[in-house]
Formats: sequence, structure tokens, C-alpha cells
Amino acid sequence: MIQVENLTKKYGDHIAVDNASFTVEKGEILGFLGPNGAGKSTVMNIITGYISATEGSVKVAGYDILDEPEEVKRRIGYLPEFPPLYGDMTVIEYLDFVGDIKSLEKKDKKENIQRVMDLVRIDNVKGRLIKNLSKGYRQRVGLAQAILGAPDVLILDEPTVGLDPKQIIEMRNLIKELGKEHTVILSSHILPEVSAVCDRVIIINKGRIVASDTPTNLSRRIGDSSRLILRVAGPEKQVVKILGGITGVKYADSQGSREPDTVDVVVEADKDVDIRKPVFNRLSEAGYPILMMKSMDLTLEDIFLHVTTEEGEVS
Amino acid sequence: MFAVFKKEMKTYFSSLTGYIFMGFFLILSGFFVSIYNLSGGSPDYNGVLTSINFIFLFVVPILTMRLMSEEQKQKTDQLLLTSPLSIWDIVLGKYFAAVGVFGLTLLITCIYPIMLSFYGKLAVPEIVGGYIGFFLLGCAFISIGLFVSSKTDNQVISAVVTFSVLLFIWLLDAIQQGLPTGVVSGIIFAGIIVAAIALFVYSATKNKAVGIVTAIIGIAIIAIVYFIDKSLYNAFIVNFFGWFSLFKRYQGFAMGVLSLSPIIYYITFSFAFLFLTVRGIDKRRWI
Repeated sequence: MIQVENLTKKYGDHIAVDNASFTVEKGEILGFLGPNGAGKSTVMNIITGYISATEGSVKVAGYDILDEPEEVKRRIGYLPEFPPLYGDMTVIEYLDFVGDIKSLEKKDKKENIQRVMDLVRIDNVKGRLIKNLSKGYRQRVGLAQAILGAPDVLILDEPTVGLDPKQIIEMRNLIKELGKEHTVILSSHILPEVSAVCDRVIIINKGRIVASDTPTNLSRRIGDSSRLILRVAGPEKQVVKILGGITGVKYADSQGSREPDTVDVVVEADKDVDIRKPVFNRLSEAGYPILMMKSMDLTLEDIFLHVTTEEGEVS
Repeated sequence: MFAVFKKEMKTYFSSLTGYIFMGFFLILSGFFVSIYNLSGGSPDYNGVLTSINFIFLFVVPILTMRLMSEEQKQKTDQLLLTSPLSIWDIVLGKYFAAVGVFGLTLLITCIYPIMLSFYGKLAVPEIVGGYIGFFLLGCAFISIGLFVSSKTDNQVISAVVTFSVLLFIWLLDAIQQGLPTGVVSGIIFAGIIVAAIALFVYSATKNKAVGIVTAIIGIAIIAIVYFIDKSLYNAFIVNFFGWFSLFKRYQGFAMGVLSLSPIIYYITFSFAFLFLTVRGIDKRRWI
């Protein structure tokens, strides 16, 4: 559906996007992951034709963005980082205007607007001026604008920014729902969001694509070990020694004491070994009760740092 | 294009801009009609149109300052530029909306001559000619305002710059009379123009060789023209600025002479600025 080849964007000497190539299949939900200023928005702006690439090509449904921009733009619904809303319009006026510039048929337009408003649940604010809406509602109006006219491709730049936790969950479900009919590209700097919604993730750093895989593969590839954090009632030295002696454990590291007469320990083990049972058995044999045991999830920082340094070593 | 036109029209009249423009225009023109025609007892309505020419300096910035600037400020240009609309659709939609508000206002002022016609005989064809000229003059100014507005995301800067440009054009006829008319000064001025063009080409292409070649070609043309017909440089500066004198071309209309060349001049002038606006917006994507 979308082919991006050797995309480069330079602002003077600053390289915002460096030789990025990827493809998105029809019906796929692709996530762009990366810190702020990594070039996520720039790539999106190039695909939607808002800015032009210095080098490289973008094709959507076989149409080149430079040769046939109108054909490409007709097929894309875009929610930019800042939703492009006119504060002086009511929600319904705004969607009507968007319907006009997307040249929807008059009778389809009304139906379409109603359907979209129901989908993102803004029907109750349709008569209000956009400038008086809360951030969450504005984001949804922005999304409604992107979905209107049922374009083949949806490009959503940080769609959950500024929403409260309940709205974030709603938004994610909505995007998943949309992913059934549309090809979706979304960007985010929050890992759980991407892994919850996306079929595939592309990690961007400093304008370069550093990794591209499914979320599970990505964390599998990166996680070559599993880590546990424990809180044990017992003397620090003994506990660390016992844990360090379990087969499969790479190291046990004391994190000091947070409660009186206890010690917090981080245990790192090989990836495929489940050490939770031996840990329990050995500590209970020694008479040191486990007060807390949980596995440490890989955070975006972990994955991100890992991927960027890994790639750095290769190049 | 029609969608943008409709939206802009709505914005003019849902915000104060449209009313301020209309109110200011109608008060000022009404004031001149009362003094000149009603109190003065003169049937010369075209005299009023000519005297209120300067009104454009104040009302055109009101009309155009928001057009493109606000879109950039609110980032709504992202919506327009990623929609299936072409840049021409957007620019023309906005231009015609501004022209529409102006035309509508002008239509209201038709009450004045109609009112006058009850009390005496008016030269109707002359007045119609005057109106056509007045309208076209306004359209040309609006295109300048639109162009300026597309260059900044700040409405105030947009308004002030538009006002300054219009003021310059208004003063142009007076300035022209004080300009040197000799051959030497003409050649020097042509040299300045060539240098400016070469610099522009250089800044656009970032290529020194292209800029230098442009300069050399320009100098060659100046030299060739000099050897063929020196007298072309006579009063070159005056003629050059004369090309931009919008008000001078209005004088024919004011006298009721409806000739083709000023009409084409105004339309070309407007088109040139619309073209520059479109190119400017398109070019911004590449920076």
C-alpha cells in the first residue's frame, strides 16, 4: 500500500530523515517509535505531501506523491501532531468543510459525517465551537477529520497525546477497529501503546530506522535475559549468595534495603530459563521468606537504548 | 476551490473582519458623497471614486492580513495542503472570497449614484466605467495583500507590510517625478536590477556558477541594448517604476474612458501576485 524508498530530508546541514526505506501492507497497523525529534513527524509530513523530501520517493497505492499528489492525498487521512482545527467553527461546520475539501458527494457527506461523529463519540458536542472544547475532544475531532471519507490510509501523529487514561484506552480500541478497514501508520513515544495496537513497529532514532519488526519479536530479540526483582526478609549477604548460586542466574545484585530487615535484589537469568521456582525453593529452604517477586518489564528506554547502541556497534 | 471560498466568506462574517471592512468603507465613501455630491451639489460621482482611492491603503490590509497568516499560525494549512485540493484551489478560493466581500461592499455603494439620479442627470456610462476600474484596482491590491499574508504567520506584520507596500505604490507617482532621467543613471539602475536578479537566482539555486552566469548574461544584455539604442536608457528608472503605478492607470477609468489596456494590466498584475503566492507556498515545502 505504501512504499517509501531511500527517503532523506535535510534542513540545511541538519539531516532530519536519513535514507529511510520501508513498506506498509494493506490492512497493516504500523507504529513509529522514537524519542521526540527523531524524525517521525517529518516522515509523516512527507508521506502526506505537506513537505517534500530532499531525496527518495513515496508511493501510495502505486501513485507517486510528486507526480500525482492529488491521487495520493485523496487516499490519505491525516491527523497531524497539532490537530488542524478552526477554533471559530462548530464541530459540525468543521466536518462539513472537511467533507467539502475532500469533495464528498452531498448526500454521502451528511451520512458520512454522522457515522464518523458516532465512531469517535463527538455527537454530543457537534454544535459547540471548537475553541471551547477540551484537548481530548479536539483530538477526537481531529481524528474524525482524518477518518472522514473513509480513506484507504490513515496517518496518525501521536494520536493519544493529551488524552486521559480512559480516553487513551478508547482511542487505542478505536484505532484497532479502524485497522480492520484501513491501513494505519501511527507514531508514539510510548511503548505499551505501540505494542498494544500495532502489527509492526519501526524504531527511528536521529532520522534513521534502527529496527523494524513485530512488537513481540522486537522484545524477544532484545531481551536475551529475563530479570526479576525480589524483596526478601533476610541478611543481604546471605540472600545474594544463595541467589547467585542458582543455576541459570547470571548475577544477583543487591539494591539495598527499603524495609527494615529486608533486602531488595535484582536477579538476571538466561532468557529461556524460568528461575522463579528454584528461587522460591532455595530461599524457603534457607528460611528467608520472599515478600515480593516480580519480573521487570522491558521499558521503551531499555529497548530503545539497546537497539540504538546495538546498531551503533554494527556501523 | 468553492469549499475554501465558502469557508472564507463564512469566516469574514462570523468574525468582525467583514463588518469592519464594510463599515469603514461605507462610512468613508458616505462621508465623501455627502460632502462632495450632496452638500457640494455636484453630479460628478466619479470624482468621489477617485478621491476615495486612498481608502485601499487602510481597508485592504484588514481584508487580507488574516487570509494565509492565520492558517500558518494555527497549523490549519496542514489540513488544506494535505487535502486533495491543489494550491491554486486554496489561493484562488481565498482571493475570490476577499474580492467577493469587496465587490459586495462596492455593490452597496451603488445606492449613492442611484440616490443622486433622483435629483439630476448622471453620466451613467462614466460611472459604470469608474466602478469597473475601481473594482479592478481593488482586486490588484487584494492580490498584493494575499501575497504578503502568505509570507508570514503574523497577522500584524502582514497588515503593516501590506499597508507599506500600498503606501509606496500610492506615492509612486509623486516619487517618479523626482527620479533622475539621464542615460547614465538608467544604466546604473539596470545594473542594480541585474545584480538583484543574479542574487535571487543564487539564493534560489545555491549554485555560484549559475548566479555568475546570470549576472554575465544580464550585463551582456545591458551592453547590447546600449550599443543598439542608447536612448532606451533615457528615463529608464522613471519608466521602470511606472510599470508598478496602479493609480496612474485608474485615471482613464475616472474620466469614463473604458480602454482595454488598463483592464488587462490590472488582471495581469493580480494574476502575477497570485502566481507568486502559489509558487511561494509550493516552494516552502522544499526548504
